[in-house]
Amino acid sequence: MAVESNVVDAAGPYDRAKALSAFKLGDVTFYWITRLSAISVLLILGGIIMSLVVGAFPAMKEFGLSFLWTQRWAPSADPPVLGALGPMYGTLVTSFIAMLIAIPVGIGIAIFLTELCPQWLRRPIGMAIELLAGIPSIIYGMWGFFVLGPFLANTFQPFMIKIFDGIPVLGTIFAGPPSYLSLFNAALILAIMVLPFITSISVDVFKTVPPVLKEAAYGVGCTTWEVVRSVVIPYTRVGVIGGVMLALGRALGETMAVTFIIGNSFRISGSIFAPGTTISAAIASEFAESDGLHQSGLILLGLLLFVLTFFVLAAARLMLMRLEKKAGN
Amino acid sequence: MSELSVSSMSAAGGLPQTAALPEAPPKVTVRNLNFYYGEHHALKNINLTLGTNRVTAFIGPSGCGKSTLLRIFNRMYDLYPGQRATGQVMLDQTNILDGKLDLNLLRARVGMVFQKPTPFPMTIYENIAFGIRLYEKIPKSEMDGRVEKALRGGALWNEVKDKLNASGLSLSGGQQQRLCIARTVAVRPEVILFDEPCSALDPISTAKVEELIQELSENYTIAIVTHNMQQAARVSDKTAFMYLGELIEFDETSKIFTSPTDRRTQDYITGRFG
Repeated sequence: MAVESNVVDAAGPYDRAKALSAFKLGDVTFYWITRLSAISVLLILGGIIMSLVVGAFPAMKEFGLSFLWTQRWAPSADPPVLGALGPMYGTLVTSFIAMLIAIPVGIGIAIFLTELCPQWLRRPIGMAIELLAGIPSIIYGMWGFFVLGPFLANTFQPFMIKIFDGIPVLGTIFAGPPSYLSLFNAALILAIMVLPFITSISVDVFKTVPPVLKEAAYGVGCTTWEVVRSVVIPYTRVGVIGGVMLALGRALGETMAVTFIIGNSFRISGSIFAPGTTISAAIASEFAESDGLHQSGLILLGLLLFVLTFFVLAAARLMLMRLEKKAGN
Repeated sequence: MSELSVSSMSAAGGLPQTAALPEAPPKVTVRNLNFYYGEHHALKNINLTLGTNRVTAFIGPSGCGKSTLLRIFNRMYDLYPGQRATGQVMLDQTNILDGKLDLNLLRARVGMVFQKPTPFPMTIYENIAFGIRLYEKIPKSEMDGRVEKALRGGALWNEVKDKLNASGLSLSGGQQQRLCIARTVAVRPEVILFDEPCSALDPISTAKVEELIQELSENYTIAIVTHNMQQAARVSDKTAFMYLGELIEFDETSKIFTSPTDRRTQDYITGRFG
């Protein structure tokens, strides 16, 4: 017994040093693997930007900055005329309307799930939201094309057109005729598609509010609405806006569903019931049969989407920073 | 700080208050109160009264039900499903346990200060004004006055008057707790509940808060749950000792700490268990 323990003691220091050096090698390897993974993100991003710029260069040289404010898109004219105004307009308008619908509904669902919902209803609704996120976008496109589009064109659109007929600004926004394929339909589909992002992130961050903080608010006599508005949402503001930005990013770039139902018209119309196009829809519907300058123009559109998304997200972040300042943090 | 230090020294001296106070008219009367967390019977047949403008301390080992009892006084337990109370808790002439009671009004009358400081995620000024706005529409100038008064009431005004627009979260723990007290006072409640208000604070902040509790007892009926027996002895007029969901002994603080009648009370205050 005693002999045995002596042996272990003698071997102890030697073994330990050896084991440690093995750990050290592992540590270095680990460090480099993680570092290379992180660097690869930069490389991939840089590569994508590079190839976009190279591909878009002929169109940039041909059209210059006028690409940004030309509405006409005539790739087969002689010489071809390409302008990004229509797709840019469509991208921004559809995303804007989509967020207008999805933010209140998404946050509303999250508030209901975390603050008001009876326990037994929580799981079914939560699961429905998760499932909504799992539906492939092509399914949304088909559903929008065959079901939602006709439904809106027969019910909602004529109703809105009739109500706002003759009123100065709103009359233009909701001008007829009703259409299966329109900016509004695309925006509505987008809203449904980004809803799960907003809801599930909001639910997660709402759950991080310390119960005692909510109790304190109830303790001074707040109603649930006042607790949510003055404590839960301010406390979780950063997280909620993060979810909204994620949703916005998705809405700006969403392709398949939008291509199905937006009508692919490069003409800009003041009415949201008119067909339009977005940058990604234009690329998706034309890229396969394009070549030369046309293809370069489409790649330039893609580069624009890149820049547009960057600026929108940067603006959102800026807004967030100003909000924080105002709240005194 | 300086005007506080003298009196807080005496408060920290740990002398039980002399029991010369006359019996106060009851503000809250608890009759045959039972409380259940689902199946668990957490409070068993509690009977006691909180005297008007008196400080009542609740002591007892963890899990004895003292915080549970406190959370009944403002129906905080209502936020959670499966918790229910039976019996009667009268606040003046109103039964707090009445299902039809307006909870927001109740909580305006019965304020609560929690174990951990809970400033709302807004500025110091807004932390106070927020509660006031729930009940009163008053112009900005009057609101400024009310906020100042509340912050003075929370013994915090001198420390924050130059940074009312800073976030409430930027204050130190002790300041945050006094902000929460000021916020509670601002709503002009009749009863204030303290749930271990000093357990997250350093000794100096604790002395300030205790001092504050004694000042508040001139105008408010106060119930305080504490694990710190010296604190109970320092701040309270009456003390209730609870054990395993039962009220074991309820009497003048000086009597509880000098000559308790029940063996378990004696064991607890002498540190033999708990």
